[in-house]
Amino acid sequence: MKKILETVWVVLIVLTIFAYLLGYLKLISTSLVAVLLFTTFIKGALVSDYFMGLKDVGVKFRFIPIIWLTVVITLIAIAYYL
Amino acid sequence: MSKDLIAEEKYPPGDFGVWIIIYVELLTFGLFFVGYAFSRRDNLEMFNTSQLMLNQTSGFINTFILITSSYFVAKGVQIIRNMTPESRERANKEASKWLKYAIACGIAFLFIKFSEFYHIFGEGITLSTNKFFMFYLLLTMFHFMHVFLGTIILFNVHQRTKIAGYTPEDHRGFESGASYWHMVDLLWIVLFPLVYIIR
Repeated sequence: MKKILETVWVVLIVLTIFAYLLGYLKLISTSLVAVLLFTTFIKGALVSDYFMGLKDVGVKFRFIPIIWLTVVITLIAIAYYL
Repeated sequence: MSKDLIAEEKYPPGDFGVWIIIYVELLTFGLFFVGYAFSRRDNLEMFNTSQLMLNQTSGFINTFILITSSYFVAKGVQIIRNMTPESRERANKEASKWLKYAIACGIAFLFIKFSEFYHIFGEGITLSTNKFFMFYLLLTMFHFMHVFLGTIILFNVHQRTKIAGYTPEDHRGFESGASYWHMVDLLWIVLFPLVYIIR
């Protein structure tokens, strides 16, 4: 538990490398966009919960950035797929 | 609702004012992101062709830099939150070190982004070139201004840590600056795949 910030940093960097490789190696496909958007959501939630420190605050405050992420990423997905 | 339950409600770190700013910024950028996504849908070919002119590697490096700077700031906050009256001087000094790293990252981000703008403008591209570049320039320049402001805020917080200005009872200023910086990171985390990767 002590190294939680370090763990979060590693996960964020790994997911960023994944996103970059998808673009750089031109592997991005319709189905992988969904995966990419999901990993973006995970990254945003990690920043909000652990870096911003919202994990331990009141539910309504914690979920404002999460709801923002959900709505924005869902609308991006709708624009992409529909 | 019982008194205990009310007392348990914890507020986000920092001043409430900074959170109002954060929510407004999230909403504003959110509208831009969605606007970009729907415009792209109507101009698919043009967006995909124009996107090829962007440098994905510098976008990736900037993402790496911002995430790492956010980690440095979070380390600083952790130290400041856990300080005791006895460890005040040491904690401020330690937090000051982490902030210095974060400020260096902020400056590196600005430098890389500035060279990207220099290249783009050198190609004769402006806001009116096409819809893709209108969104790209608006989003990234608006974000650039936030990183610039965030770096200045971190610098001010850093100056206060140098005089051991934060105490176990009063470190809201530190938390407010940190929260603003994390918001800048959060916005870039969505911006990077949306503008640089998805096609």
